[in-house]
Amino acid sequence: MTMAAFSVARPGSVEEALRLLADHGPGAMIIAGGTDVVPNLQMKLFSPRVLVDLKPLRQLSKISFSKRDGLTIGAMTTLSHLLESTAVREQFPVLASAVGTIAGPLQRNMGTIGGNLCLETRCRWYNQSYLWRKALGGCLKKDGDVCHVAPGGKFCWAAWSGDSAPALLALDAEIEIAGPKGARRIPLKDFYKNDGKDRIALGLGELLTAVHVPARMAGRRGVYHKLRIRDSIDYPLAGVAVTMDVDRAGVCRDARVAITAVNPAPLLIPQAGDWLEGRKASPELIARVARAAIQTGKPLTTSALTPVYRREMVHLHTRRALEEAWQGRNGHSN
Amino acid sequence: MNKVLLRLRVNGEDREIAVAPNRVLLDALREDLGLTGSKRGCDDSSCGCCAVLIDGVPMLACVALAASYQECEITTVEGLAAPGELDPVQEGFAECGGAQCGFCTPGFLIATKALLARHPNPTREEIRGALSSNLCRCTGYMQIYESICYAVEKMRAKTPAAAR
Amino acid sequence: MADSANFSIIGKRMAMTDARAKVTGLGKYADDLAVAGMLYGRFLHSPHAHARIVSVDTWRAEALRGVKAVVTGKDAPNPYGILPIGHDECVFALDKARYIGDNIAAVAATSAEIAEEALDLIRVEYEPLPAWFEPEKSMQAADHWIHETKPHNIEKEYHHVFGDPEKGFSQAAFVAEQRYYAGEVNHAAMEPHATLAIWEPEGKLVVYSSTQVPFYLHRTVAEVCEMPMSHIRIIKPLIGSGFGGKSEVIPIEVAACVLAKKAKLPVKMLYTREEVFYAHRGRPITIVDLKMGITREGKISAVQARVVQDGGAYCGYGPVTVLYSGALLGAIYDISNVRYDGYRVLTNKPACGAMRGHGTVNVRFAFEAMLDELAHQAGLDPAEVRRRNLLKAPCITANGLRVTSYGLPECIERVVERSGWREKRGKLPFGKGIGIACSHYVSGAANPIIRSNMPHTTVNIKIDRDAGVTVYTGASEIGQGSDTVQVQIVAEVLGVKTGRINLVAADTELTPIDLGSYSSRVTFMAGNACLEAAKNMRAQILAAVAKEFACPADDLDARDETIFRKSDPQKRVTFDEAVVMAINFHGALFAMGTYAPPEQARGGKFKGAGVGPSPSYSYSAQVAEVTVDPETGHVRVDRIVAAHDCGRALNPLTVEGQIEGSVYMGFGQAVQEEMVWENGRLMNPSLLEYRTPTTIENPEIECIIVESHDPEGPFGAKEAGEGSLAATIPAIANAIYDAVGVRINTLPLTPDRILAALREEQKKAGGNGAGANGGRR
Repeated sequence: MTMAAFSVARPGSVEEALRLLADHGPGAMIIAGGTDVVPNLQMKLFSPRVLVDLKPLRQLSKISFSKRDGLTIGAMTTLSHLLESTAVREQFPVLASAVGTIAGPLQRNMGTIGGNLCLETRCRWYNQSYLWRKALGGCLKKDGDVCHVAPGGKFCWAAWSGDSAPALLALDAEIEIAGPKGARRIPLKDFYKNDGKDRIALGLGELLTAVHVPARMAGRRGVYHKLRIRDSIDYPLAGVAVTMDVDRAGVCRDARVAITAVNPAPLLIPQAGDWLEGRKASPELIARVARAAIQTGKPLTTSALTPVYRREMVHLHTRRALEEAWQGRNGHSN
Repeated sequence: MNKVLLRLRVNGEDREIAVAPNRVLLDALREDLGLTGSKRGCDDSSCGCCAVLIDGVPMLACVALAASYQECEITTVEGLAAPGELDPVQEGFAECGGAQCGFCTPGFLIATKALLARHPNPTREEIRGALSSNLCRCTGYMQIYESICYAVEKMRAKTPAAAR
Repeated sequence: MADSANFSIIGKRMAMTDARAKVTGLGKYADDLAVAGMLYGRFLHSPHAHARIVSVDTWRAEALRGVKAVVTGKDAPNPYGILPIGHDECVFALDKARYIGDNIAAVAATSAEIAEEALDLIRVEYEPLPAWFEPEKSMQAADHWIHETKPHNIEKEYHHVFGDPEKGFSQAAFVAEQRYYAGEVNHAAMEPHATLAIWEPEGKLVVYSSTQVPFYLHRTVAEVCEMPMSHIRIIKPLIGSGFGGKSEVIPIEVAACVLAKKAKLPVKMLYTREEVFYAHRGRPITIVDLKMGITREGKISAVQARVVQDGGAYCGYGPVTVLYSGALLGAIYDISNVRYDGYRVLTNKPACGAMRGHGTVNVRFAFEAMLDELAHQAGLDPAEVRRRNLLKAPCITANGLRVTSYGLPECIERVVERSGWREKRGKLPFGKGIGIACSHYVSGAANPIIRSNMPHTTVNIKIDRDAGVTVYTGASEIGQGSDTVQVQIVAEVLGVKTGRINLVAADTELTPIDLGSYSSRVTFMAGNACLEAAKNMRAQILAAVAKEFACPADDLDARDETIFRKSDPQKRVTFDEAVVMAINFHGALFAMGTYAPPEQARGGKFKGAGVGPSPSYSYSAQVAEVTVDPETGHVRVDRIVAAHDCGRALNPLTVEGQIEGSVYMGFGQAVQEEMVWENGRLMNPSLLEYRTPTTIENPEIECIIVESHDPEGPFGAKEAGEGSLAATIPAIANAIYDAVGVRINTLPLTPDRILAALREEQKKAGGNGAGANGGRR
């Protein structure tokens, strides 16, 4: 498949990148690893005039960690590099396990954490070729006015289908954004707009530069569960990330639960922390949080497997992830 | 759009080509440099047939914009061994049935080469993991694993005992 | 020639002759080829599932700079099809578009970008028609038939009765009746189809194409382009596998020729992965209504199957598929009473066709799952039930299939032993299960698609004074090892090293006709032709040496590059010397061999009897072990032990590769592959969403070769490439039953289906809802 014509700009600094974004306005599009952007360009989902290629910005591909300042990951850090980081693996197991499930090893060698946090939302009526979409007559998200997932609706339900975001939400991460008005730092949860058509709060001319995980999250137990059909390559069809601080008595001091791939955004389960804090594990409590997860998660026919099943798996994996976190297990499971 | 003058070191040779900015590395290699060993099996970076080493790291040339890899060192399947010779990994795939139709083979060879560079004696799990971006439709993967074991043995035999 | 225990090449593990070309990346597949001045061709596809084409207006596209040819139905109106009874498709739709993705027009331009731009400039006026997507609804259609000549959208139906099914059922102690449904699957060969058609100034066409059947492509290009076959040369380069997806003439192959002829320039076309799914020809959605009875002793007393196949919009191999589904109920077990009703139905979707295990796979799934169910009802070991229904070969089955060699008993024994079946069956903890199933397949069809008395294969061998042995064969290497096995056969007979053999294959200008690489026919048929050609060649050489030695020719043997006297092995000449003697005696050496299946192998006389007969059948038995998560329904296939009777493994390396590849493909269809449709729209036309197995979830496969030494196969060999696929699916389904006590009758066996079945089972058992621990334990 060919791509429409565009030029590629390769800035040497963040400032230059911002200048390019400012100069080209809506005609500019950011490319990092390219694993999401290039197939989308080949499907003619976007028609940028200029691609601003961030790969030359080596300064954005560093990982630093200290017990005092926490973890900082440059946005251009590849997913493979992130997995190789001892600090990430040892101190933030939920992040390592989530990132380890992204696509496959070769995609992770290219894809970046910034790119993964800025993924396009996905829908089986949208992630199709120009030929396919033209035969369909488009959809609400692109070239049409009908939503094929929720006909009659005017809201786009394309699903947020990233794996790193729920883990980072569960780690209470913040992100750093550079823009024409300078840098700003916001909680990651405020980055996602839960709108399939307008997914992230990245303004015109802005650029994600780094992810911060607070120091207090270091060493936090964490589990990521991913529902997918194949054990590699596939995007999540549902995902649950849990982090938990448990004292010696087995009492939860702090916990976060986030879900992915069942809404247009990765979402924290709002009540989970309050309910879990100060409590010991019990089947009733875990069931209550799992029920809350499926009140938040609203899978629709955007992907493979039925919404009913995916909803049920959100429930089940929330339960399992909480049990594992409480028992002190780390890692990921399908 | 103006073409970009791209300087690459491909399989040890300096190459210069003018590419359109919307050209992917796979097409630049196959059509502009005549290196047709890397294959196109899909359109959405999900089969691994196009894998090449970029600065030693295996990546998917079908989603790599050529213009983004200025000054990079590229190794394709054609560059795994000197002309007329076979790398142990190539020999393994040839001898043990790792290549049936051969279409996915270049991608598997590249992924294997990168794996063995990091883990000279990989476990079955490490092999499965490292090859899990590459689809093969012929072998059921079993003879690919045997091919890699063959290469591991061959490389071990070549390495002086003291260096092991 | 050495006796069977003492081969020098046959039976040895040998790397494929083209392995170096493949591992160095230097071998050329169709899309790797380029010639100066080559144009790039692209298709315009229909956005409608069923629509009358009112007009196609191409002038804007033709006017675009860089466009060299635009072609539509008017440029190539001659219909074609792989079967003589099914010439129902034109390379570009003439009157109607019949599926989303049907071919309307094509453009050749100086670049792919320009060709794609031109597609957008073609104006097509459609008049949409009601469309048919579900086969059982399509069969009821009163009007708007997809092809006017096929009332009620029924492409073909067949009704066969053998023995006395009613009586058989009356003798049964246990009878089961179920509906099974198999989703549609695609070959997903890693190489998308590609064709380079070169127009020669003399008015001839040279075509390099990704085909399994150069001979049929040759005929079709001649018909569509209205050129004599002698002006067309088809060359098969390396093929990135086929599995049947390249065993019909695919539109891209003809379109490239039509464009090249019109532009009078070379044209290359390459399908996108999405277009591969529109060209398709894979395994159809199949509805199997199966009824089977067994006696108290476990003997199958009657089988009744009604099969409806969702064939898509064109005939393709369809009638053959639905006939195989019925015919191959036979030739595996001893069944006297069979009723078969098969329907091949047209729908407004891409045409289905032949895919590895053609016609048998989905019915075998149903059959083996039901046999497992009946074994449980009868309280018998499922492996034992299969043993009690074995054929006694040689024999002719109720439906007229001749079985000459039969390694199934040994296959069952070997997998039972290797897998630990006796220790594990019914004894594994809840969630772990083990299942057994069998399958079989033809070693080529005994009757050709186009009825004629022509041999199915001809092979020529030439030797000149350089003593190089050149084998000219039409057989198509597609990754299965066809070239290698032919080289081995010739080398064994002539007593030379394989390196001395040069194989020229699948080039219609140089090589004699072979029907192609499909229905697992190459080893048996081209192999036998090679064997005969090599024996004829050997006889010429030995005759010359015998004259020189003044001894009888039958006192001579050829081995290890020498010809020697058996009575005095010191009396010997090198192969090179022998060749010189022979050429001095005969002139340049030339030998031919052919193969046509014997009359007795060609089956009965009833309507449809032509499909199913084969000179020989392969057999497989498999045991699968699975782990099912009863809370998610997720299945992990831990291990598959597969035993396959291939007659004799001429090259155990490639035989194992074929068996393992078949098992893998069966695994994919069993648990995760499915083409998903929404009103005729394919929702997953990509390798991201059509999920062939990755290294991670693919099971460990253990392979056992069983050798039954077929009396007519070359050195006793028969097929290895397809027969194992069908057993994998029911072995997994039966293992799931053993693990969690549910039977899923729908493929693929996805976790949502398994979970739903577990819930259903719980409900039936009056479960109290405390966890999914229903099932049999």
